[in-house]
Amino acid sequence: MTEVPGISLRNVCKTYRSRGSQVVALEGMTLDCPPGSFTALIGPSGCGKSTAMRIALGLEDYDSGEVRIAGQAPATATAGGVTGVAFQDAALLPWRSVTRNIALPLEVLGRDPARYGHEIAKLVELVGLKGYENALPGQLSGGMRQRVSIARSLITSPEVLFMDEPFGALDQIRRRQMNVELQRIWQETRSTALLVTHGIDEAVFLADYVVVMHANPGRVVEVVEIPFPRPRRDELYGTPEFHALTDRIASVLHGK
Amino acid sequence: MENSRRPWRSPALRNLVILLVVWEVVGQLKLLAGGALPPVSDILVRFWQDRGDYPGHVAATVWSSTLGFVIGNILAIASGVLFVLFPRLQRLARGVNIAIFALPAIAIAPILVLTLEGNAPRVVLAALGVYFVTMTATVVGLSQYDTRSADVIRAYGGKDWQVMRLVRLRGAIPDILGGLRIAAPNAVLGAILAEFGGGGRWGLGTYLLGSLGRGEPARLWGIGLMATLIAGLSYAIFALISARVLGATRSVSLNTALPPADYDADAPLALRIALALGAAALPFVLWWAFIRLTGVPEMIAKTPWGVVDYLFLADASAVARAKLGAALMQTLPITALGMVAGLGFAFLLAISSRMMPGFIRAFMPIALVTQTMPLVALTPLLVLMLGRGLSVTLWITISVTFFPAFVLLVQGIQRVPQSVLDVPRAYGASAWKELRMVSIPAALPYLFAATRLTVPRALLGVMIAEWLATGTGLGNLLNQSRGYLDYGMIWTVASVSVCLSVAFYYAVLAVERRTLTRLGMQVVE
Repeated sequence: MTEVPGISLRNVCKTYRSRGSQVVALEGMTLDCPPGSFTALIGPSGCGKSTAMRIALGLEDYDSGEVRIAGQAPATATAGGVTGVAFQDAALLPWRSVTRNIALPLEVLGRDPARYGHEIAKLVELVGLKGYENALPGQLSGGMRQRVSIARSLITSPEVLFMDEPFGALDQIRRRQMNVELQRIWQETRSTALLVTHGIDEAVFLADYVVVMHANPGRVVEVVEIPFPRPRRDELYGTPEFHALTDRIASVLHGK
Repeated sequence: MENSRRPWRSPALRNLVILLVVWEVVGQLKLLAGGALPPVSDILVRFWQDRGDYPGHVAATVWSSTLGFVIGNILAIASGVLFVLFPRLQRLARGVNIAIFALPAIAIAPILVLTLEGNAPRVVLAALGVYFVTMTATVVGLSQYDTRSADVIRAYGGKDWQVMRLVRLRGAIPDILGGLRIAAPNAVLGAILAEFGGGGRWGLGTYLLGSLGRGEPARLWGIGLMATLIAGLSYAIFALISARVLGATRSVSLNTALPPADYDADAPLALRIALALGAAALPFVLWWAFIRLTGVPEMIAKTPWGVVDYLFLADASAVARAKLGAALMQTLPITALGMVAGLGFAFLLAISSRMMPGFIRAFMPIALVTQTMPLVALTPLLVLMLGRGLSVTLWITISVTFFPAFVLLVQGIQRVPQSVLDVPRAYGASAWKELRMVSIPAALPYLFAATRLTVPRALLGVMIAEWLATGTGLGNLLNQSRGYLDYGMIWTVASVSVCLSVAFYYAVLAVERRTLTRLGMQVVE
């Protein structure tokens, strides 16, 4: 039996054109994420890592190549509730309570949120927001809002989870804490995860594979496998093995 | 918000008390225009004597304006949603929208009375008064949605209508409520103007018209204040609702990405030309359809062609042109003069507002209240105080342009961040230099917007004054033609005043675009 990859991009090209000038965002990008794996996409601004994610989510068209999410076309996969997504900003609807924000994808997919009461309660507990079910986003801290956004991304029990710098707006300390939590949550769900990030530490800590990209034109330059056993703990950050890997990725990033 | 509002609440109250005391003294001593300003106590006594008249008139006005408010706003919000979903439809409807915005209500009141029956003219004029404000607020609200929230919806396969339902409509509610707040007094003004145009026994406009000739200042003041109270209350109701809705659900973070501009740049040239021509033709098509649908005889209701015929082809057309020309020569100069003076004062006062914040805090509530005053109810009072000469027309024009322009300008200047002001200050710039470098350029876009927005009000103000007081110009021509049953002239004055208003609006817009583009600024909607 051959495994269907969670996320598969084959030779995807994308060029932005506007009056006279054109920018090659992706030039023949290929990416394979085995099911149940955690992949981090890392690279400088403008390397097309967010574009790749948006293409995989069907939010953006591409010029050529092939994209498959759990064996399906992106539009089919997203409309079927196969995917979950968390963006850089929590992007919560300010007039909806925590639970109703978490239920938002269900409404878009045409499912009845009332039948997911148990799942929602479980997710609220999983992200540590018990007691805040009826709070509005304006009453929560930045970190809490991000956890709501993570819970929202998990409500459909997605096979494939996309995250675009979900903790980009948080400070270093909160970020590390959230990464430990994210690892725990992901291990419970066992979905295929793709994380877009600027942070080398974060990528090495969380991922099984770190995919390093370069800009102009956007392309994959190297895939680094991260061998650390799970669950990974905060102490990992201090180990020489960790530093060896981050140093190596940094040198790939800087093209040395 | 709360903090910025509290401080001027008590000075405003104090100023109101001072105003009432001064008013009473001036009235008792007959200091102003030989007793044309009655003391507050006289007005209250008169109000008490007339208490049997008010309920019927107030109920009639409130009923027509409420009905018009509801109908106009349903149409406005529905159009706003359609315009956002189909931007080309908005371009096609542009001519109609601007015409509705720019039409001086008093000019079409007689037409509505001619073509519609019963309560309908009042309801239609009230609805026309609210349509543009609410439609614009809806379009602005729906256009400025959070693109990141929309991405979340689309990432789950959500379609445009789902983004509309789940994100944009709800997100637009504060803007729509803001529109309704401004629209509510307009509905009252529209209804009263239509009551003025004739027909019906009840309504504050009818009451006012009936009381005009009787030389009872205290009663006129009573009616004027009652109309202001109704308009002010309608404003306050929506201000309260929007404050409650806004409270807890204000957006928690700033969206840095702008929503994609619905810019139709790559549409074929032929389509763009067709849309522009359609937009220009549509108001006339609707006009024609309106006449056909109401089935009013051609004698009374003129089609666009009927007006052209009346003005250029018919036997008496030379006489009609001469009358119209003479009226325009009286109306236009005074309108222009009043506007320049009103806008000039507003600009000077607004740019110096940074230097005397205390004065502005006390003055702003008064400026806001005057915006809700139904102009038509005030004119007789100004006539009482200023007589029937040119000065009354000039004062009305100045006041109707000054207050909205001032509010807009101050709000614009207050948007300049403190840090921008701190830069010249940090280099020891004088107050005058700071004014020249920061405040005046910052206020410029708002001055243009104010000019554009006050043109129809200025024309409306002048025409009301001419109708009620001076007996000159377009307003008088309209009133006279009603008496002579000169239907052709009524339609001509109405269409010419709307066209003038639209033409002036576009002229200002053209100058504004060129100037602001050269300065690298954005046009304020």
